[in-house]
Amino acid sequence: MNEHLISSKQMAQFVASGYLRLDEMVPKELSDACLVEMRDHHFGYLNVGASFEDTWPKGTALGDTFRLPQVQGLIHSLVGPDPLYDHHAAHLVKGGQTRGPDMHQDSVIDFRENYFDIQLSFFPVDTPDAMGGTFLVPGTQYRSVRTGEIHIYQHMRGKIWATCPAGTIFVWNTGVWHGARSNHTDQDRYMYKLRLNPTRPQVGNFDTADLDDPEIRQILNTNHGWEGNEHRYELMRRVQMWRFVSGQPDYDQGERFMRRIEYRPQAEGVAAG
Amino acid sequence: MPAVQDILVFFQTTPALTSPAVAWARYEASKGPISDLTEEDEPPYANALAAMRDGWEVLQMSELKHRSAEEGYDLGPLPYQTVLSKFNEMQEEE
Repeated sequence: MNEHLISSKQMAQFVASGYLRLDEMVPKELSDACLVEMRDHHFGYLNVGASFEDTWPKGTALGDTFRLPQVQGLIHSLVGPDPLYDHHAAHLVKGGQTRGPDMHQDSVIDFRENYFDIQLSFFPVDTPDAMGGTFLVPGTQYRSVRTGEIHIYQHMRGKIWATCPAGTIFVWNTGVWHGARSNHTDQDRYMYKLRLNPTRPQVGNFDTADLDDPEIRQILNTNHGWEGNEHRYELMRRVQMWRFVSGQPDYDQGERFMRRIEYRPQAEGVAAG
Repeated sequence: MPAVQDILVFFQTTPALTSPAVAWARYEASKGPISDLTEEDEPPYANALAAMRDGWEVLQMSELKHRSAEEGYDLGPLPYQTVLSKFNEMQEEE
């Protein structure tokens, strides 16, 4: 397991941008077998809130995929040991199917602090730009909205989308704004989504060997293009999440915006001399 | 064909009409609903004022938000928007 944990820098990227992209994480043969299962053996919702390991099918391609050591390491890094099954869905955009504005945030508005669920989006076939892979707006995971009301944001600076080889997994904080895109090819596009919950506080589950890497500061400070005047408030939220996941309750950086709202002189303060 | 109203909405992080559009949307009655969204990296104008110089009229601009201690750090939708209008000749829906 340990050799498959994500690094602290990758964790910082997840905290700042809300997602990680892992190309060709699933071998081609297994990806092909998953595609057959997604087409022919779709299964409905399982027992929401049950142990993932106990409830997730075994002896199937999709069962094996999410139990690959590298996928298990990724899951452990983000939600820790013994995660719970929450939701899964095989997403299909048929060849030639177009999509209008679709920006949304999944499920229901969620204000839990020091907590996040993850979703793994697995692309079992090559997904070129024209096939319309899922789009994300990195960094939006701390902006709680009611599901589809953000359809009104038809275009947004910083938007990215999954143009990727078969076997690629995007793992993302479920708060990230995202949506489907038009498929302008004659091939159907498939994406398999799995949502998981943690069972304990998500502290220090990743590889912390590079926790003091100076690049982490820059990563947390990433500007995705849409933040504008909101950037320092975004940074404060990222710092709060970084404090939590890295187990550093006093972490701050740069101008130390968190100190600006936390500093209080002691009640018995040092007498002016 | 008659001229009908097209709407262009800019979403900004300050209410100024010179504030950069960081997100945008079109509701163009002249063309009908969008059934196949084409990706755009850049807004059609850098800001509302640039659109006004191309004949768009401002229907709504945002007022500043009051920030309380309880809500001052809340994030959520993009905070400000400008609604622009222009009349264009009706086209056949695709």
